Amino acid sequence: MKYRVRHATHYAYGSAVELATHVVHLRPRPLPWQRVLSERIVTEPAAARRRDGLDHYDNLVTWLFLDLPHADFEVTAESVVEVAYPPPPPAETTPAWEAVVAAAQGPEGWREAEFRFESPMAEANADATAYAAASFPPGTPVLVGLLDLNRRIRTEFRFRAGVTGISTPVAQIIQKREGVCQDFSHLMISALRGIGLPARYVSGYIRTRPPPGQPRRQGADQSHAWVGCWLGPELGWIDLDPTNGLVVQDEHVVLGWGRDFGDVSPVRGIILGGGDHSLTVTVDLEPDDESH
Amino acid sequence: MTADSPLDEMADGSGHARPHWRGLQAAIFSLGRGVLAERAAMLEQAFAEEGITAFLPGEQAVNWRCDPIPLPLSAAEFAQLEAGLGQRATLLEAILSDLYGPRDLLAEGVLPTDLVYGNPAFLRPCRNGFARADRHLMFYAADLLRGPDGQWRVLADRTGQASGIAYALENRRILSRVVPELFQAQKIQQLRPFLETTGEALQALSPADGAGVALLTGGHTDPLWFEHVMLARELSIGLVEGGDLTIRGGVVFLKTLRGLQRIGVLLRRQAGNRIDPLELAGASGTPGLLDAIRSGAVRVVNGPGAALVEAPGLAAFLPNLCRRLLNEDLLTPSQATLWLGEGAVVRTVLRDLEGWVIRPAVDGAAAPVLPTLLSTEDRAELAARIAANPARYAASVAPTPSVMPCVGPNGLEPKPVALRMFLSFDGTRWRALPGGLARALSEEDALAGRLPRNALSKDVWVLADESTAVQGVLGLATPALAIRRAAGDLPSRVADNFFWLGRYLERLEASARLQRATIARLLRPSPTPRELSEQQLLCACLSVGGMLPAEFAAMPGSTMVGAMVLRAFRQHGAMRSLLGDVSRQVDQLRDRLTGEMHAVLTRSLRVLGEEMRRLPADGDSRALEQASVLTADVLEFAAAVAGLAAENMVRGGGRLFLDFGRRVERAQAILQELAVVLDQPGAVNQPGRIEAGLRLALELRDSVITYRSRYLAVLQPAPALDLILADEGNPRGLAFQLLTARDLLREIVEDGDQLPAQIDPLLSEARAIVRDVLAARDQMVAAARLPDRLRALEAAIGVLSDRVSRRYFTLLPVARSVGMDADIRGAA
Repeated sequence: MKYRVRHATHYAYGSAVELATHVVHLRPRPLPWQRVLSERIVTEPAAARRRDGLDHYDNLVTWLFLDLPHADFEVTAESVVEVAYPPPPPAETTPAWEAVVAAAQGPEGWREAEFRFESPMAEANADATAYAAASFPPGTPVLVGLLDLNRRIRTEFRFRAGVTGISTPVAQIIQKREGVCQDFSHLMISALRGIGLPARYVSGYIRTRPPPGQPRRQGADQSHAWVGCWLGPELGWIDLDPTNGLVVQDEHVVLGWGRDFGDVSPVRGIILGGGDHSLTVTVDLEPDDESH
Repeated sequence: MTADSPLDEMADGSGHARPHWRGLQAAIFSLGRGVLAERAAMLEQAFAEEGITAFLPGEQAVNWRCDPIPLPLSAAEFAQLEAGLGQRATLLEAILSDLYGPRDLLAEGVLPTDLVYGNPAFLRPCRNGFARADRHLMFYAADLLRGPDGQWRVLADRTGQASGIAYALENRRILSRVVPELFQAQKIQQLRPFLETTGEALQALSPADGAGVALLTGGHTDPLWFEHVMLARELSIGLVEGGDLTIRGGVVFLKTLRGLQRIGVLLRRQAGNRIDPLELAGASGTPGLLDAIRSGAVRVVNGPGAALVEAPGLAAFLPNLCRRLLNEDLLTPSQATLWLGEGAVVRTVLRDLEGWVIRPAVDGAAAPVLPTLLSTEDRAELAARIAANPARYAASVAPTPSVMPCVGPNGLEPKPVALRMFLSFDGTRWRALPGGLARALSEEDALAGRLPRNALSKDVWVLADESTAVQGVLGLATPALAIRRAAGDLPSRVADNFFWLGRYLERLEASARLQRATIARLLRPSPTPRELSEQQLLCACLSVGGMLPAEFAAMPGSTMVGAMVLRAFRQHGAMRSLLGDVSRQVDQLRDRLTGEMHAVLTRSLRVLGEEMRRLPADGDSRALEQASVLTADVLEFAAAVAGLAAENMVRGGGRLFLDFGRRVERAQAILQELAVVLDQPGAVNQPGRIEAGLRLALELRDSVITYRSRYLAVLQPAPALDLILADEGNPRGLAFQLLTARDLLREIVEDGDQLPAQIDPLLSEARAIVRDVLAARDQMVAAARLPDRLRALEAAIGVLSDRVSRRYFTLLPVARSVGMDADIRGAA
């Protein structure tokens, strides 16, 4: 599936900002199952200095520095991306989850081990751990448990914008049973790590209009987030979208991943001056018609 | 001697002094117990007077303490330690460079991932893009204990900030002054050359010619502020806070009064994760600093992520890592340590918990827990916590530290001792400071906190052998000189501090003057009506200055007034808080004041604070008299500060702003008081009241004698106002303040700047006021109509002061974070 992505972030400041630095994770990450055919980042006003590089997780990251007074700032990322996730393995054939836990503690899982520790926005929580444990009776094939957990979050939690704040603690999400994609992802990550399974936060987009005959997806028109789950050294990672109860296949575009939102927030910055500010974000993810 | 009994540093098994103690021991004995106790007290006094403090977290600063008896090390032993610790530093550097680079140690399973990924000191933004060649470590310190077998072992590695060296220098400086006899007994190595080498090595790191070197501090609220000030001074480098720096085009600059000055090297003494709010946690620091490091425009030492290898659990793997990375055996071992996340080791430890010291596996700053000191329940609780999460803990064999004599109330007492040694990389190899910081451990003392805090510290001596430079008694105490600069180099924040120090000092003085005059009248047994009316005017002045609740200003003669005046000196009172304001500025300016000036200021402020606390209760008849004495002391203090500034501070830089602050404050106070004393309802028809007001204004301006010598006893408004407002020769008058302020501004600004000229209309208005009163048919009536005009002039001075502030002190507004809060929050 080929998509055109346009993600615009516009800040309007109450008074002129004198100096601003932004670090953005807005360029889709090239992956075996995600070809980035073109991509560019444009800012208005133009940045005095721009640097592109890789972060610790090998995501593409861009630093933007503005040193002239400006009352507005807009950063727009456009890309054309072709995605084709490999189909998930038959769940029953995946290894027992305990074997995956053990692998993440051994040398063969040294990279993935990073995602089994709690992180600032996905802190360990006993209730979340217990919630995950219910999907993982002893000996359960890991993907069976993961799909069950993904489904339970979709059905037992209510999608509700505006009830959660800057960084809602996992404790609150598990207690209130409501939130947005970021919250569900943090919850699921914390829960999985609680039983020892590596889990990572994936930042990206979901297509604006669903495939014909499908309901409209939650999280379209915005930045979206879901969860990368490790199936062990042979099978590697699989992405699950607990907000929509989906296995990620061809409706999502990946920007990058990290331990939690804090590692891959699409746009964050430090400004000097500026007074109050308001923010408008628009995201379009449309199938590229020319390809059909 | 059994294997368990601690080693005696001074005496060998047969009770004789060890060779490297002989000279020192003889000197100690010839001083005798009485003299030693006396010197111990003098040492405490000396540290208190120099204002050398240590902080307990969440508590008040306490004075630093140093025992008279140093810990001597033989030259050979020092050489061994230097080699061993140098090897450790090299090893830790290699580990850091792997973990922030290819991570082979994790891939090969040599090091458990828990100690890295589970470690909050692993700063992921420091992994990619940092130049491989850049070292992480330039400074290293180690906390050591000596076991019964005579071997020094490392209990904690300090790579984050390696603090404490300034305290070691101060111990040496003050000890050599207070107990010089000890230094005659023994030739020891100097500390100075180490600092010189370190300073040169720092300078050599600079990526660009002419770029400055500075110590990056968290500021005066940092528990180690004293250390930062002293170290910057000793190394002759600047002292900056994150907010003093700005980054343009990927290059780091210090904001100074005359613009931006490039910084090439930062000696980091702020937590590594707090230096760049753009990429690291926290709101403090300089946005873009990591990017500047990546692009090579600035070097930060130690590197921001260096604290990673302070993890206590790492000690379990060092012997193996040393062989693997350096192909050598570890020379100076750690106190035997196990990481409990591995296999069955946790069972070994839990079986005999009292034989171990427990620490969090990845938190090098946490105080170790000694299970032997815990109650049975607490021990069981600790065991349960360990069993639930073994990977989070490290256990070290409980040490038996060596003991050495300390001066106690009953003569010399043996106490266990810990040693901190300091190393720096000179560009080629690691060198150790031939000295260090020892501390006497008390029973309940944690073994390796960040620094000895309330504990008793000790100087550390390294004896000289033939090949080393010898420290003579005379060469010891080179007092550190403050770095003084021309105005332009002054960081904006420092200028701001000086400006406010000037204003607060002046405000303190003016308030004391008012209070003194008020109390003098309150003390008179049966005041005349004139005195009563003066009292009322004074109360009104006090009330405008925030020193007295307004409702009492109108109650002359009330017994309540005395109590209310005194309230300013009591807890939360206005005088107390002014004193606090002055202290705060003095604290923040510690690095900018000469040692003498700082010492005099802090001592006087402390004495004044104590005097205020000792003031008798309201009912006590002596309370007002004492308060009057107190106001005299405040006036004396203010005069002393002015004198000190004139004598001790270079004219330029901070002094200009200090003076400017004083002049502005005084000019405003003159106008404010004059407006109050002339603002009397109905006074237009009662010339006597205006006369009383003017008389008072002259008194408050200390100008009564001058007036009398010119005009005898006849008081007329125009001559009095001339003296107060327009006479350029009266140092307590307005014109003098304005002219001085204009001269100061001319020195502060660039040539051709229009700012100083903005004072001219203010001066003209002051002269015009006097002229208009002189020309008036009835001078008294004209004077009574002045208050509004005086207040307008006062406000105009305020506007000018704001303009100067805006221009010089706030080059850049406060940084705020955007994006984290809203981007994804919109809906999904």
